[in-house]
Amino acid sequence: MTQVKCGREITLKIPAASMRRRSAETGITPGDTLGWLGLLCRAAFIGLSVSLIMAVLILLGASEAQAAEAPPGLVLYGPAGEPMGPAPQLRTDVTIEVTGMLVRVRVEQRFSNPNGAWVEGVYVFPLPEDAAVDRLQMRYGERLIEGEIQERRQAEKTYQHARAKGQVTSLLDQQRANIFTTAVANIPPGETVTVQIEYQQPVRWLEGEFSLRFPMVVGPRYIPGRPLQSESGTATAHGWAADTDQVPDASQITPPVVVGAAEGFNPLQLRVVLHVGLVLADIDSPYHPVRVEVLAPGEYAVELTDGAVAAERDFVLRWRPTLAPQPAAALFNEQWQGRHYSLLMVMPPRPEALPQGRGRELILVVDTSGSMHGASIEQARVALLSALQRLKPGDRFNVIQFNHTLRQLFDRAMPVDQASLQRARSYVRGLKADGGTEMLPAMRRALYDPTASGLLRQVVFLTDGAVGNEQAMFEAVAQDIGDSRLFTVGIGSAPNALLMRRAAQLGRGTFTYIGSTDEVEDKVAALFAQLSAPVLTDVQLRWDAEEPDGSVVQTPLPVPDLYAGEPLVVAVESGRRLRSVHIEGRLGTQVWRHTARLQGGADGAGVHALWARRMIDDWMARQVTGEDRAAVRDAVLRLALEHHLVSRYTSLVAVDKTPRRPSSGELQSAAVPARLPAGWSADAVFGRLPATATPAPLFMLLGLLGLALGWLVRERGA
Amino acid sequence: MSLRWRRLGSVLGFVLGAGCLLYAGYVPAKAWLAQVLLEAAWQRTLTGVSDPRPWPWADTQPLARLSQARLGVNQIVLAGSSGRVLAFGPGHIPGTARPGQSGNVVLVGHRDTHFAWLQDLRRGDQLVLQDADRNALRFVVMQKAVHHEADLDLLDPLAPPQLRLVTCYPFDAIRPGTPWRYVVTAALSDTAHPAMDGLPPGMPGRSLYQPAY
Repeated sequence: MTQVKCGREITLKIPAASMRRRSAETGITPGDTLGWLGLLCRAAFIGLSVSLIMAVLILLGASEAQAAEAPPGLVLYGPAGEPMGPAPQLRTDVTIEVTGMLVRVRVEQRFSNPNGAWVEGVYVFPLPEDAAVDRLQMRYGERLIEGEIQERRQAEKTYQHARAKGQVTSLLDQQRANIFTTAVANIPPGETVTVQIEYQQPVRWLEGEFSLRFPMVVGPRYIPGRPLQSESGTATAHGWAADTDQVPDASQITPPVVVGAAEGFNPLQLRVVLHVGLVLADIDSPYHPVRVEVLAPGEYAVELTDGAVAAERDFVLRWRPTLAPQPAAALFNEQWQGRHYSLLMVMPPRPEALPQGRGRELILVVDTSGSMHGASIEQARVALLSALQRLKPGDRFNVIQFNHTLRQLFDRAMPVDQASLQRARSYVRGLKADGGTEMLPAMRRALYDPTASGLLRQVVFLTDGAVGNEQAMFEAVAQDIGDSRLFTVGIGSAPNALLMRRAAQLGRGTFTYIGSTDEVEDKVAALFAQLSAPVLTDVQLRWDAEEPDGSVVQTPLPVPDLYAGEPLVVAVESGRRLRSVHIEGRLGTQVWRHTARLQGGADGAGVHALWARRMIDDWMARQVTGEDRAAVRDAVLRLALEHHLVSRYTSLVAVDKTPRRPSSGELQSAAVPARLPAGWSADAVFGRLPATATPAPLFMLLGLLGLALGWLVRERGA
Repeated sequence: MSLRWRRLGSVLGFVLGAGCLLYAGYVPAKAWLAQVLLEAAWQRTLTGVSDPRPWPWADTQPLARLSQARLGVNQIVLAGSSGRVLAFGPGHIPGTARPGQSGNVVLVGHRDTHFAWLQDLRRGDQLVLQDADRNALRFVVMQKAVHHEADLDLLDPLAPPQLRLVTCYPFDAIRPGTPWRYVVTAALSDTAHPAMDGLPPGMPGRSLYQPAY
């Protein structure tokens, strides 16, 4: 005790008496110069230690304060590098009407201009990848102007001409099957111009469940390739990415992003009315809280509980009828401009027995790029673990991960056993998401099958699809698929649905979405049920018209293989009314024959648009497999113009003939920025400048501290 | 009992402290030694050796020599900007123009070793960047500024031909991990140089972000 006390006294006052006592104990007589010197040194050292500790605390605190004071670095900059003025503000109202299995959606975008100057607003936004967009209306004040379908370049000219003349005008372009751009020019100061877009879409029917998906945000895409020196130069190119040799329209699909946007920024309201004619057991919106109201038997209204929500994640609605037996077929007919259109959906029966299963080689591919950071990589990890659990002895497997580099668990697919599964599980648990998204080499690697082992080869590809080079991906799948089958799994809050659907189509597999870790188990179980084998193959349809005049155009042709729970969906155009269709296919080990009557189906407004949209899809897919570009363009252009559809080669444009902007008024063009999809991390997606501070100074300080503390403790303990 | 604990604490304090000090000395020592080795590798590069790696297991290679006469700076710049590379010398950020190319060349270095001298640069100072073909480009310091680490506009490959030197800020902070970067921008002063043929049209930076490359 006295020793401890002694130490304290020395630190504080260094009184002579206590020093003497201390000296006596250690055998140094008072007056011994060495002892005095030692004491002095000790005192100095202790003093130094204390001041060092203080210094560390102060310095650490200081760098904290410096960081806190500085302004956030994420600001919008205009084309010349100047901070951008306020862009037009946007509110979106979505009305979804479901009639049976047809969906009609109206998206109302209200561009208001809070500035003192005349503004052009450009907004890049997503729509479902199978949306048949057939209508654009522009409302300004009392005036309502109907949009006109034009060849894309012509529409651009029409828009530019009106824009220059000071007329209020709007243009709707398709950049990808699921990315669109609205441009609205000459929005007067303090006023609002409303653009209404309408599209048609079929309900998704799977495993007895109906669903629809409405995307709200285009997530920042990774743009591979080398920057091109010249920009594409269209009016709507406001993107953060420069065009590259691999993504020549990058500047049009990368809307500026506001990181950490305020709650009320870019709000979206949504209402769904279901006219299903059936009593529903269950209506479920997994990602947004909703309020369901029963309007009448078989009619429901669904609204967002919170009113407007931030446009940052896909809205999904699923419903299931109580009825048993479940509906087995649906038919919609429409007569349009003298021709007949039908949409037929048939749920094949469950096969009694499946062909004897071959051994399986399962390649699990996971995207570990920066956009997957956070919730997405967690979902992917859980999904992979769940998939590993379902592997059977006799299977072979491998895990491939990619960001800007490509890594794989094993050099080649390994047999399933305790050791390999153990390694796979720890590999999957260690997955981290960071860096770029070089997806093309990963896809090629996954589809590359050097052994041709005769095993059933299945590739499960987990990604959010945040890349701009979809076309190159599709080409790779079409070229390399061989005997493999590709199953895509869209991960996260805003997956790229176009990539998921078309890659799976070209890979003769299916696509699935996982939007939260809660649904992983169900989704992976369903996926594995499908993975066992397609249940319906070699499907042939024979159409029977009232009169022998053929001219039946069917899409898709040929009908792809169907997996468990998938309905057969075909659309058809004919010159005469069709009487029936005879369906024949291989169902498991048996042959399935079915004749469907085509008369007396429900009247479906817009079936023609769905047929044309699917025809366009077929043509675009043919472009991937090497069909002549000009031929594809001609066919798509003809279909789109005839059916009033927006496509890669056609746009909708609306012009209010009255010039509004005086020739003296200047027009400013601004992009309406998008939010970052929910759960994404700006740091992980966009990266940072390299960190360049070594820890040397910190270690220097810590080292001195350690020595000082060691000395102090030793002193007291001696 | 308490005596034993104190002894243990004391020994621990000394060992850890000495360890930290050793490491603190090792970082600048490595930085200095690497530059000596790199000088030799650079000479080999200039003579056109196909694989001029400074040591057999190096995952980088010298790209250029950066010099500043007034401060007596003469450094070998390496390819890449990962932490491993920056331990040995200033690095070139991939995706920006390569030294010798006309374009936006961006180099980074540690604030407390190789690029500590940036704080002493003055406007108007000359920088010389010599590439592997012995072409030397001369730059004049135009601007010094502090940017946020997310401001990737600085890396815009389509920006006008210039040299940017980037390091962490503030220089005298103890802790690593600041979000701020000290950026020196130097304009090309010697346009008559043969390496400058075929200039791309200068384009002001406009991208808000670049994705992580």
